[in-house]
Amino acid sequence: MAREQQIKLTVNGRSYEKTVPARLSLADFLRDHLHLTGTHLGCEHGVCGACTISMNGRSARSCLALAVQADGAEIVTIEGLRAEDGTRHPMQQLFLENFALQCGYCTPGFLITAIELLRDNPKPTEHEVREAISGNLCRCSGYQAIVDAILAASRLELA
Amino acid sequence: MSDARFVNQRMVGSSVIPDEAIPLVEGDGRFLNDIKLPGMYHVAFLRSQHAHARLIAVDASEARKLPGVIKVLTGQELLGKVDPFRSMPNRFSGGESIQHWLAVDKVRFCGEAICAVVAEDRATAEDAVDLIKVDYDPLPAVTDPRLGELDGAPLVHEACANNYLIKREYERGNVDEIFRDAHTVVKRKFKIGRKQALCLEGRGCVAGYRENTFTLTVWMSHQLPYVVRHYLAKHLRMAETDVRVIIPHTGGGFGQKASIYPEEFVCAHLALTLRRPVKWVEDRIENMVASTHARDQTIELELAADKDGHILAISSDIWVDVGAYSTYLWSAGMEPLQTAGLMPGPYRIGAMRYRTRGVATNKTPVGPYRAVGRPSASASLELLIDEMARKLKLDPVEVRLRNLISEEAMPYRSANNLVHDNVNYIPCLKLSVLKSDYDRQRAEQREALASGKLRGIGVACFAELTGLGTSTAVGPGTLLQPGRDAATLRLETSGVLTIAAALPSQGQRIMTAMRQVASDELGIKLEDITSITNDTATAPYGFGTFASRTAVFGSGAVIMAARELRKRLLAMAAFLLKVPVEDLTIVNSVIQTVDRSRSISLRDMAEKSYFSAKDIPQELNQGFEVTSFYDPKFGSFAAGAHVVVVDVDPKTGHVEIVRYVATEDVGTVINPAVVEGQIVGGIAQGIGEALLEELVYDDAGQPRTVTLADYLIPSALEIPRIELHHANTPSAALGGFKGCGEGSIIGALGAVACAISDALSRKGGDIHSFPATPERVLKGLGVLPGDA
Ligand code: FES
Ligand code: FES
Repeated sequence: MAREQQIKLTVNGRSYEKTVPARLSLADFLRDHLHLTGTHLGCEHGVCGACTISMNGRSARSCLALAVQADGAEIVTIEGLRAEDGTRHPMQQLFLENFALQCGYCTPGFLITAIELLRDNPKPTEHEVREAISGNLCRCSGYQAIVDAILAASRLELA
Repeated sequence: MSDARFVNQRMVGSSVIPDEAIPLVEGDGRFLNDIKLPGMYHVAFLRSQHAHARLIAVDASEARKLPGVIKVLTGQELLGKVDPFRSMPNRFSGGESIQHWLAVDKVRFCGEAICAVVAEDRATAEDAVDLIKVDYDPLPAVTDPRLGELDGAPLVHEACANNYLIKREYERGNVDEIFRDAHTVVKRKFKIGRKQALCLEGRGCVAGYRENTFTLTVWMSHQLPYVVRHYLAKHLRMAETDVRVIIPHTGGGFGQKASIYPEEFVCAHLALTLRRPVKWVEDRIENMVASTHARDQTIELELAADKDGHILAISSDIWVDVGAYSTYLWSAGMEPLQTAGLMPGPYRIGAMRYRTRGVATNKTPVGPYRAVGRPSASASLELLIDEMARKLKLDPVEVRLRNLISEEAMPYRSANNLVHDNVNYIPCLKLSVLKSDYDRQRAEQREALASGKLRGIGVACFAELTGLGTSTAVGPGTLLQPGRDAATLRLETSGVLTIAAALPSQGQRIMTAMRQVASDELGIKLEDITSITNDTATAPYGFGTFASRTAVFGSGAVIMAARELRKRLLAMAAFLLKVPVEDLTIVNSVIQTVDRSRSISLRDMAEKSYFSAKDIPQELNQGFEVTSFYDPKFGSFAAGAHVVVVDVDPKTGHVEIVRYVATEDVGTVINPAVVEGQIVGGIAQGIGEALLEELVYDDAGQPRTVTLADYLIPSALEIPRIELHHANTPSAALGGFKGCGEGSIIGALGAVACAISDALSRKGGDIHSFPATPERVLKGLGVLPGDA
């Protein structure tokens, strides 16, 4: 019944060609078809940011996009953040060291957002950090440790 | 010195980076929705569109015809096969509520499950839900507890006269007389809206079926694996040993995942009858209407004091809108009884009276949520203390210092019969006052007011009863006394120590905490200790994670088991090394003589005793596996004092928190960074309660807040930097630990509420109803008409 469509895209450096139902969301495609379950769903409504991924270099809510819209796109999810040898991305390491996650459900979205922030603004103020992550909700941490982890990462670039 | 701790660096008290967070930060977590089993079906629920209605007919014929649909289950079909949820007997029960897993005859709230659809995939199941036709005969809805308790109001349950699910009156001391003779009496009304725990991950389950062992294995996003196992077996009429419950990574709990709900039980039934695994994952709209709500109270509170501001007695009248059913397991008594009973908080209050009721309404049931009852109890009293201070022209800090239970007065039995001991109420307040530079804050406030800015300062002190032993019922009025839990310590054949306990974590890092405690007790290196906390097949019996108990119970049981295990390890080493046991100690996972002349690693000893035991006497080789149960008997009070400064915009009603200083007493700290995370996270939720969060219903019982765009939780912009300090004193529990998961949310609501009230009072205004939305603030200032 559902109409299907062919898509070609790159996810975490690997290219895929898949036939997907037209109504399939990008988040469900990543999770159910590519088994990349690191991307989480908190609202499926574009509000919580848990599903944030990087699409063509910009952060995007994978619950709002359809898989077919990602045709030709280059996508990075949390699974693609580690280096090839398995070393954690500095932001992952600093989230860990700063205790920036409790349940960890929101973490994938925050990591993607934080990495994008420092790419665009390598030396943000605390307020700029808070502003940049204000589209990602965390119910556990009260944000303080997340803000500290991102600020620590911004200092790291100096060294 | 043969004490390992003398040689080793102590792990308790260090901010050890938790291994258990690594998969979460690498995208390797396994949450409920990540689980897939071969041949798994998917479940979606048809939910009531009406708050209160008779079910005339349910026609699922079209849905059943949809390709991919396996089954449509109705409440009628379940009748007689499974046992519905009857409210947990409570001494203060008004009447019984019976909750069928799928509604039969009547629906009692919007969102109540009516049918379950099983299909090949979730999208098809949802499509099929839309094809089911339900014929409702709407009934008048009860949406206001003050109207619902009146004679002649429509009844939510026939068995509950005046819609009382809970009702209790209590008096200690001659309250009337004290009020009559008191120098000063102040009164105040306090309202707190309906809340949602709002775990970022909703509920969900995968129920797996197989022949023979563990016929039913259920993966569930939940806090209490053994409780779920017990009740699944009971309600499905199975043997407990056939049921296994596994808790995957869990995206928040906060009490919402500590109750028992129909949906997961329906899924278990479906897996057993279809003999196939089934999965249900709650979406956000379902979560907003089908997972328990919280708070929703009106409190009328009175206080009698002498001329110096010493509180002599309090008297309260409390109405809680508890929703359509008595929440299974905990009963409807949680909010009504805890709010009333814990009202005295950290203050020396010798006489009290309350009348409290939980009134059934046609709304989602109210269940436990972080710090049940105490935030509103505390905030209503703190606001009233400020009012008394204004009346007596005393400073809010001074009046609190006069009333807090001092260390010298302890042990102190409060009018609610709870004993306060080993707790630093006054030091917490003094430190917060010092660190916030309180006098300067007041001076700056005066300057701000003089220049036309509206600034307020709030001070709130709280007491939080944590780690409750068997002498205190967690569900007041019920027989539930979840006051003991176990840990099993086992030295594996590789020499690694495994700690098993049924204490799942939703981010509290309990596995790391227990490893830290065990490391200190046993002299085993942290990296040689693993922990498992989420599986009834591997963990000893335990009640689970809630009520700020897990660190207290997990650590206590670990300490007890470790002491026994240590004896066994040393005895074995003494035999193998042929030295007296008194000469031995364990350092860095090696057992050695104090002079270090002889040693054996735990790895070598484990290998020998498990694999080459020929020469070892049987009595010595009873296995390196010890299970201990720990019951602290009583609870331990944790404490805190928060000082908050807010600016209120008199034109927009917007409240901004400009300074937040918190001091807490959480006993001996296991992992400071984890504790800080718990406290800051709790404060953020308290700020949400105070300023933003409210579930709204219309008069017909229709929910108006069903998405995250309507129910606002704080973002990073609404939460200020929290300055956190400690005035800890060890509790009487093993290790001196206290719980730290809930206290801060109590302090936050009270402190922010007092700060706003303080600001408004400078313009002759006030506020009684929270969250303090801009509209309410403007009403409080008299800018908009109406009560605030
Ligand atoms: S799941 Fe996409 S924004 Fe919440
Ligand atoms: S860590 Fe739980 S939602 Fe952010």
